[in-house]
Amino acid sequence: MAMKTTLEVINRMQAEGVIGKYAIGGAVGATFYLEPSATLDIDIFVAPKNTQGSSLLTVAPIYDYLTSRGYKTEKEHVVIEGWPVQFLPPGDALDEEALQQAVETEVEGVRTWVITAEHLVAMALKTARAKDFTRILQFVESGVLDADKLDQILTRHGLLEKWEQFGVKFLRGNA
Amino acid sequence: MSHWMRKVLESKRATRQRLAALPFSEKLKLLEKLRDRSLAIARSPLRRQQHHKV
Repeated sequence: MAMKTTLEVINRMQAEGVIGKYAIGGAVGATFYLEPSATLDIDIFVAPKNTQGSSLLTVAPIYDYLTSRGYKTEKEHVVIEGWPVQFLPPGDALDEEALQQAVETEVEGVRTWVITAEHLVAMALKTARAKDFTRILQFVESGVLDADKLDQILTRHGLLEKWEQFGVKFLRGNA
Repeated sequence: MSHWMRKVLESKRATRQRLAALPFSEKLKLLEKLRDRSLAIARSPLRRQQHHKV
């Protein structure tokens, strides 16, 4: 199934006011900067519209919109045109900043947004699973990172110590 | 590191750089193919048999 069609559905949700700004993260987002690597789903960071009178951000309206149009759910995903999509509201200031500073691009003429390389690295560092460390190493090796920008993000979000630990463990001696 | 191994690693790095330089749309098409293959492997009866053995 073409991801372009999936993005068209998400753009329609945005046009109809179900969601605000969104940005692709995870492995698909990383593919914007790196060579493609296998993934089974799409992570979409999204600013859901607030429920009236509530300050709580909830993805329930997104799932209601999609399931009422026949899309099925699979655990935490909604399968949109063949692709399982996970909608992730920002969990902290880093996620919010990443969403706001996402880069606009196009997929076969369909407008979309991707989280910056430096934010993807910071988010991977925060999540800190084995596959996140692999992705960070791919970013470092690719040379696409803006070191100053990354440093500012890591400082702003209290991740410098984690970055130093990562460097000692994975980067020392490889420079 | 042997000369041969160095050549292999250089070749891999060059391939990764060539793939990374493709337009996003092209890379997503490759990603879709990778996903289809992963799903096919996951569905394979051989893989399921192997899984049960572990």
